[in-house]
Amino acid sequence: MDNIKRGQHKASFLNGILKENPLLIQVLGLCPALAVTKSLETAFGMGLLFTFVLVSSNVIVSLLRKLIPEEIRTPCYIVVIATFVTIVKMFAEAFLPELYSSLGVFLSLLVVNCIVLGRAEAFAGQNGVFDSFLDGVGNGIGYTWAISLMGIIREVFGLGTLTIGKVFNFFGEPIKLPILKFVEVTFDAATETYERTVHYDFSISIFQNPAGAFIVLGLMLAIMAAITNHKKAVEKAKEKEAKLAAAAAKAAEQAKLAGGAN
Amino acid sequence: MDQVGYIILAISIVVILLAVFVISFVLYMRTPAPKGCEKLGIGPKNCEDCNVEGCMIYKQRHKKEE
Amino acid sequence: MEMIISYILAIVSYMLIDNVVLSRFYGICSFIGVGNKVKSAFSMGLAVTFVIMMATLVCYPLYFFVLVPAGIPFLDTLVYILVIASLVQIVGLFIKKNSPTLYKTLGIYLPLITTNCAVLGVVQTNSDASLDFLTSLANGLGTSIGFLVVIVLFACMRERMNGYNIPKAMKGVPIALITAALMALAFMGFGGMVG
Repeated sequence: MDNIKRGQHKASFLNGILKENPLLIQVLGLCPALAVTKSLETAFGMGLLFTFVLVSSNVIVSLLRKLIPEEIRTPCYIVVIATFVTIVKMFAEAFLPELYSSLGVFLSLLVVNCIVLGRAEAFAGQNGVFDSFLDGVGNGIGYTWAISLMGIIREVFGLGTLTIGKVFNFFGEPIKLPILKFVEVTFDAATETYERTVHYDFSISIFQNPAGAFIVLGLMLAIMAAITNHKKAVEKAKEKEAKLAAAAAKAAEQAKLAGGAN
Repeated sequence: MDQVGYIILAISIVVILLAVFVISFVLYMRTPAPKGCEKLGIGPKNCEDCNVEGCMIYKQRHKKEE
Repeated sequence: MEMIISYILAIVSYMLIDNVVLSRFYGICSFIGVGNKVKSAFSMGLAVTFVIMMATLVCYPLYFFVLVPAGIPFLDTLVYILVIASLVQIVGLFIKKNSPTLYKTLGIYLPLITTNCAVLGVVQTNSDASLDFLTSLANGLGTSIGFLVVIVLFACMRERMNGYNIPKAMKGVPIALITAALMALAFMGFGGMVG
């Protein structure tokens, strides 16, 4: 009994991370994934705030699931989600102003996010509190890693650098890693001018444009689909092999029996 | 007075809007569909042009095709 | 005269340059999901247009004459989503009772419009940027026409793509996103049209 329960908890946590990843497998929540992934940090911040909204709405919906009349389920979910989005907005405005301004209206658009509403309808409305909590955390992590990966790709290829510590600026000066682009700015004290020396620059600016967002997400989904297709094909081949082996074994046994009878 | 008044006002605005929403939602759900459109909705037949791959109906439809 | 021209320019810029789907990324879900039938794309676009205009008309006075004077502007998102959802339901109720033909074309899309980011996005930008009433309406009109244009064009393209031999992994959403990327590149050409 305990084992079954533990297995269920594990499944509700792990499913969202890879197997039923909300962005890459279920293809939900595309709007923020395209809009806020210009840089790694905004994407990661969005992921964190999204996870908070998802987890808290999942928990509250799951707690209220027996109180809410069946008929007005959707309106209640919308109000619960909107409340948490308002809380997150006020929190971000107060403590992460840089993130708040770069996310802009997409923080409010979490209210109509398909994933949050979908998890409330499909999971939290029918399952216990702990499972719903784990489901929220799992899905949040899955979404966060997917959009962070997009953010890394778009920032590294588009700007050529990877900046860390600009949005989450609690640790002093931001670090700028020169990956595909290295520009050195030196200050000449004698003439009081800045001098820019471009050591190397392989950045492709289209990755920062809207078109680049579509291309990166399209390719990521295609790669994910290719992997799933490959896995399915391998499984099918294995099944076929197992069937063939079983048939062969059966035939051999029958032959043996027939031989024994003779 | 100010603080309490604002809080009451805020709560009453939200409650009124919520009441409007819930009433219209319930009325919409209870109104019978006009003749000839009873079967509109989600289902394998109505979702033929849809391309959302995460949807269960999409998966079912394509399993059949395979 | 100059006023009228500036509003027309605002509509054009919201419609083409700052296109709702291809550069502001609202409503991608319905854009990708509505599929490859031009007719259903058109009716979806019309429904969204109607709801966006109604929501702008209702939410503008609600924000500037009720929420701001009362000192509770932080409740905007909650109020907006409630207004939009009730609007959609009321419109749906009206259609369901009075017009079976309209219900037949729009019925399936009505619940989708509540969760379409474009509606909430327009209303929220209007109040975040404190646009005046006519500019808010221009924003709503430009955004919704832009949505209609792009969604219909996209449906046309996908209708043509039906017969092509696309690699198995790219089928469905990935190729739709690549198509959208090419469209976004084309729409980038409108940049700088309005000074």
